[in-house]
Amino acid sequence: MKQIPIHGDALVSPDKPKANLIYKNLGSKLKAFWSFFEGNPPALIGGFLLTLIMTMAVLAPVLASHDPDRRVARSHVEPSAKHFLGSTRSGRDVYSQLLFGAQKTLSVALAAGAIAVFIAIGVGVTAGYMGGRVDSYLNFLTNVFLVFPQLPLLIVLAAFLGQVSSLVITLLLGLTSWPWVARVIRSQTLSLRHKEFVISAEVMGESRWRIILVEILPNLVSIVFGGFLGTTIYAMGAEAGLGILGLGDSTEVSWGSMLYWAQTSSSLFTGAWWEMLAPAMALALTGGALALINMSIDQMSNPKLKTGKHMKLWKKLKREADQRRGLV
Amino acid sequence: MHYIVRQLGFYLTAFLIAISFNFMLPRLMPGDPLDALFSATQGRMDETQMAAIREMYGFMDGSIIEQYLAYLYSIISLDLGPSVLMFPVSVTQVIGQALPWTIFLALGSLIVALIIGISIGTYASYHRSGFFGQVVPPVLAFISNFPYVVTALILFYIFGVQLDILPISYTYDPDLTPGFHWDFILSVIKHAILPMGSMILVGVATWVFNMRNAMINVLGEDYITMAEAKGLSSTRVMTRYAGRNAILPVATAIAMAIGFSFAGSILTEVVFNYQGLGNVLLKGIVARDYPLIQAILLILVVAVLTANFIADLVYVWLDPRISK
Repeated sequence: MKQIPIHGDALVSPDKPKANLIYKNLGSKLKAFWSFFEGNPPALIGGFLLTLIMTMAVLAPVLASHDPDRRVARSHVEPSAKHFLGSTRSGRDVYSQLLFGAQKTLSVALAAGAIAVFIAIGVGVTAGYMGGRVDSYLNFLTNVFLVFPQLPLLIVLAAFLGQVSSLVITLLLGLTSWPWVARVIRSQTLSLRHKEFVISAEVMGESRWRIILVEILPNLVSIVFGGFLGTTIYAMGAEAGLGILGLGDSTEVSWGSMLYWAQTSSSLFTGAWWEMLAPAMALALTGGALALINMSIDQMSNPKLKTGKHMKLWKKLKREADQRRGLV
Repeated sequence: MHYIVRQLGFYLTAFLIAISFNFMLPRLMPGDPLDALFSATQGRMDETQMAAIREMYGFMDGSIIEQYLAYLYSIISLDLGPSVLMFPVSVTQVIGQALPWTIFLALGSLIVALIIGISIGTYASYHRSGFFGQVVPPVLAFISNFPYVVTALILFYIFGVQLDILPISYTYDPDLTPGFHWDFILSVIKHAILPMGSMILVGVATWVFNMRNAMINVLGEDYITMAEAKGLSSTRVMTRYAGRNAILPVATAIAMAIGFSFAGSILTEVVFNYQGLGNVLLKGIVARDYPLIQAILLILVVAVLTANFIADLVYVWLDPRISK
């Protein structure tokens, strides 16, 4: 029987070394990766900031100048060469705390985002694909979660549990912040469900699982990723909020607990701005960077939103066309 | 009409779920919230006194269903027992004093952010290849995604501490007697600028982006091209033709934003020591005043549900098609 080549790989002549192909694939992957950033200053700035923050968090043990949990200076020492960002009232090095705090805060936010997105995919895709009664139950559940003020709910839960560890905060955040992502995923699944490729897969007798995993999910990637980033930003803000209210575990070093200690030592009034502004600026830059990337993902999934270079290209083509027609 | 009735049914169900959750919460948590209260008195209370207090807070004997019905009754009759924090004063009274300020902060900032955001979004999308359209949205996206507390703290530091031009504590000058006179109103506005400003800064980008996305869809329509071809001024096309039709999908997002706005208000109040529910909530948490904490959660749920229902009514008014 004659073999029909389906994939492009099969067309590559066999005498070419395989490694070359991998290089080529890697090259095109990198190119696709780069095209996301090319001519897109917001994505570049966001990506750069995020890479920087992530690197600092991962390399915290190397980069830190002092032990974040130990008293290493006098109270409220000003920023200097020895203590880049000064010291807290209890004599901890703010710079080192910032680095280790990044680890805790980012892992809480990212994990909460991941949990929320997993629940959202489960609820959203099931509701959108199954339809009928399942959909109306799940939709009701989503709407109920959506109208409840989530942060007050979290605050009350945390208050009942006493000072909660970052693990509990992660779980609480993940379990309460999924509904808006679920809603977007549901409506997108609903519209995909009636597309020809899904119907043809159904007619061919593919199993439900295969249709959901292979036909539908890959088309939701940009929405899922956007939802993940959005939830991560929200979770980071909520962690900081719970922290400053004193509901987090104030013995753990995180940006939230740093805010708490800076607030209780009223550092802004005593002139020790560095204790408060260092974690505040770190939170601000991380949130902003994530938002810029999120915005660029939106533009990728909906090219109509694009501005800048692409508009210039369109204008150039229009001008040329006008010239050909003798309009200009 | 059918739509409104259905929404009303949904909100009532949601409210019932919130009440049930509130009822379950202290019964599911490890330990008894009242134990904390009793341990503070260090055994100076005898059994009958403790039983009386227990009953006052709704922890009465009887089956769980009887307890639940009694709890429902106490909520409907607005009798939520006394506050632990400010003892003889009732929870209802404490909340009654703080709630108007929170509503003022949450809804006021939401409305201002809506107006500013929709204006910027309309302009930025209509002129999206220009400087404004390219620079303002990403800058706003960056700033607006600072966590609520961080924006509040930065404004607090710049305007309240460094420049020292705006008050950073209380809802109005404590020397003034509240009333409907000019000094008082001016003082309230002055005290609201920073907390409201920080919430607007956080909220505005949502509307810019919602409006921009809606506008860009509308701008592709034929009637826009037609309006431009007729030679109408670009302002008229932007506002009357495109903007007006783009507002509709934006309005659906308002309902969701209300909850966020109330949550933001809670955090902002703590930073600016604004005498709203957030501040009372924080004091309640520190004093372990569980009846007060729960009542605040409940009243926030009611406020958000009511605001959502009003948003639904506005939506029906904007788009009569959905009520059919």
